[in-house]
Amino acid sequence: MPLFFPQEDASDVRRRYKPDVIKGDMDSIRREVLEFYASLGTEIVDKSHDQDTTDLHKCVTYIRDSASGLDKSNLCILVVGALGGRFDHEMGNLNVICRFSYMRIVLLSNDSLIHLLPRTYCHEIHIQTSVEGPHCGLIPIGTPSKSSTTTGLQWDLNNTAMEFGGLVSTSNIVKEEKVTVQSDCDLLWTISIKKL
Amino acid sequence: MDLMHHSSTFLLPTIPLHHRPSLTYALVVLNQTLPRFAPLLWKHAQLRLCADGGANRVFDEMPLLFPEEDASDVRRRYKPDVINGDMDSIRKEVLDFYRSLGTKIIDKSHDQDTTDLHKCITYIWDFAPDANKSSLCILVAGALGGRYDHEMGNLNVLYCFSSLRIVLLSDDSLIYLLPRTHHHEIHIQTSVEGPHCGLIPIGVPSRSSTTTGLQWNLNNTEMRFGGLISSSNIVVGEKVTVQSDTDLLWTISIKKL
Repeated sequence: MPLFFPQEDASDVRRRYKPDVIKGDMDSIRREVLEFYASLGTEIVDKSHDQDTTDLHKCVTYIRDSASGLDKSNLCILVVGALGGRFDHEMGNLNVICRFSYMRIVLLSNDSLIHLLPRTYCHEIHIQTSVEGPHCGLIPIGTPSKSSTTTGLQWDLNNTAMEFGGLVSTSNIVKEEKVTVQSDCDLLWTISIKKL
Repeated sequence: MDLMHHSSTFLLPTIPLHHRPSLTYALVVLNQTLPRFAPLLWKHAQLRLCADGGANRVFDEMPLLFPEEDASDVRRRYKPDVINGDMDSIRKEVLDFYRSLGTKIIDKSHDQDTTDLHKCITYIWDFAPDANKSSLCILVAGALGGRYDHEMGNLNVLYCFSSLRIVLLSDDSLIYLLPRTHHHEIHIQTSVEGPHCGLIPIGVPSRSSTTTGLQWNLNNTEMRFGGLISSSNIVVGEKVTVQSDTDLLWTISIKKL
């Protein structure tokens, strides 16, 4: 965080960007970092005994079940750092958004954002053209789709089948400010983030 | 069912002489930062292709991996045999430089239906004599990271060419397909890879997968996105076996040396 504010004093920046919670199995956090935030009042939730779920999974569960003072009726969880690095971690993080398909969870990197479009809904995606696009894709990550239909894309799907090993909609282009998607299976929507 | 052997010998400084399986390597460089072991992959490969902007990466970044050497010497030494793709990313001076050195330039800008990686794999497939296809292994640098739809398109290429050995490599991990048509023996090169690994059922759920050699082995276990997938697993020992009713992606961490 201090690197984003090079003109400011690093300690001031760190105090301003104090996490509410630090959670996980605690095998990566440096001791001095843990102590710094603990001394500022950050809640430390040590889940080192739980080796069955990823750190992201633990955090999503915490937000869903425990976070007090949070209006959960219209919750959207933004995740940074889910992509890149070890590929098995990245896949584990994708799987978290598939497992919590009833929650809005957005994975973000410098280049792209990803979220799930559950098959139980027709979807309208309002494109914020100042910050995202035009490159996009629809990915049948877990099961083949026998039928997907879209509007608003350069290469729209029209009751089109998609599956790994066959057609997967990548390198598509957003053509309009509204994209609609409906499908018989959960699809990952991904769109590029503009470099501003 | 036939047995298929896998081994990441392409990450070793030298490949043991009578190593089985004996493979011929081709290297495809895509448009992401070169992994730190790119020169090693280049050395093992008999055919080196750049996909479009991958040529920019070789031009700009190979010299950075040899900071004591003269950049022009490094660029001449690491000259791709082929540059293939839709040519919308490669810089003109890079294209001219390699063309003047004799690199074959294949302009596929008319073909917007396939990814640059797909075009390169097709080129290698058409170029390699039939007799050698089963001993061919295509190493791909730069398939991960960057735009996520590109990454997914590159993973899909593994499934589209499931009869070809294709390995995607980043600084952190390598990935390849384990086709359901075979039982698999993966010989772990513990000096360069592991212990973190995973088996990922992308695209179709697996009703039954079985492994040996992992900390958390699968035993006729179901896997699917939205349920169990095997990530954050650990390799125990030097041999892992896998059999499954579906194509699985195998991924293992690459050691930082």
